[in-house]
Amino acid sequence: MNQRDLELLSSYLDGQLKPSDSARLERRLASDPGLRAVLDDLRAARGLLRQLPMRKAPRNFTLTPKMVGKNPPLPRSYPAFRFVTALASLMLFFTLGLNFVVPQLAQAPAFGMGGGGAPEVFSAEEAPAVPEAATEFYATEEPSIMMVPAPTETVAPATDSAREAATPSDKQGVMNSADLPAEPPAQTPPQPPVPPVWQIVLAAIALLGALGMVMMRQTAVSRWRRK
Amino acid sequence: MDEQALIHDAQAGNLDAFNTLILHYQDSVYNMALRILGDEDQAADAAQEAFISAFKSISSFRGGSFKAWLMRTVTNACYDELRRQKRRPTTPLEPDTDDGEEMDSPRWLADPGMTPDQKAEADELEHALQHCLNNLPLEFKSVVVMADIQGMDYSEVAIAVRVPLGTIKSRLARARLRLRECLQGFSELLPTSFRLEEGSNV
Repeated sequence: MNQRDLELLSSYLDGQLKPSDSARLERRLASDPGLRAVLDDLRAARGLLRQLPMRKAPRNFTLTPKMVGKNPPLPRSYPAFRFVTALASLMLFFTLGLNFVVPQLAQAPAFGMGGGGAPEVFSAEEAPAVPEAATEFYATEEPSIMMVPAPTETVAPATDSAREAATPSDKQGVMNSADLPAEPPAQTPPQPPVPPVWQIVLAAIALLGALGMVMMRQTAVSRWRRK
Repeated sequence: MDEQALIHDAQAGNLDAFNTLILHYQDSVYNMALRILGDEDQAADAAQEAFISAFKSISSFRGGSFKAWLMRTVTNACYDELRRQKRRPTTPLEPDTDDGEEMDSPRWLADPGMTPDQKAEADELEHALQHCLNNLPLEFKSVVVMADIQGMDYSEVAIAVRVPLGTIKSRLARARLRLRECLQGFSELLPTSFRLEEGSNV
């Protein structure tokens, strides 16, 4: 039997053939016992399948909100709380970072000159020539803190050899500089750019906001479950 | 039950409306999964997955036969389960006979409450049918289960399987033929009214 006849018989069984096709097939069935036998077999197979018992579902498959990932409806103010909390947290971290970094930057030049980083130490040759007038001024006038170009400690230990090679006028200038007070004026520690009180306020806002969000969510969930 | 109203409400996110639909269709969906997978636990899991998936995608339902749409969802869930089994094959726990050999037909899987002889025969016939169904290619199996077990008409099956009507007719005919050949091996179990012709030549 070919595939076409098989499909015809199967469709005939289900009453899916056009009346003309059905009549033609019935004429063939009347004269072809083989065709009839196949039809009977298909009918028997279909009948057995239809006899299969319909099993009852072992449990109810009804869905809970959790199963479908539905969230409880939150109050309208919830997004505002979330925004304020997030903003306060961000600002808090930003100010913390700012207060940490800015004092470091403020102190950096002082450490650099005193610490002796090679490029920052002027050698005598590289140093700009001191004008004669200025040299004379240093030689005659009392040293003034205001006029010191840089803490003497940084220049004095530059290099001894360089000092030896310096011109007399330079040497004089250096010597005069050495007479200046050895210690630079005491610097007051730099103030943090953001007062700590602001950070406390921001932390409080972030904390209260987060607390408010948790309470709102818990209230919404408990109301939702009661429904 | 006003099915259209319930579907409309479910599309608006009303879970209670969808649960009413579930209660109406859960037996059909479970049986569909059971006949495709041949295992009660896997069928229950697939049915549950199908309902979850159906709720999540119910907005894509554009009218027509809701049952066909649901059957497509459960068929897809069954395909996923079968693919998972293929990736992670498991060895069934077959009981041993007195001779220490594995039983071919695990009658012990049957409900222990159905031990009387009358039910034993029906059980065996059901197992034989399920065995033959399991041997069918997946695309044949889903069509024959929908048409012959669920009683869906050709157009509903075509919507559920998303293939043309002609393909449904062809698959159904070939599935019935293969089932007939398979069931000839269990002729002693078949009721006399359903005895298959030994001599028919296909």
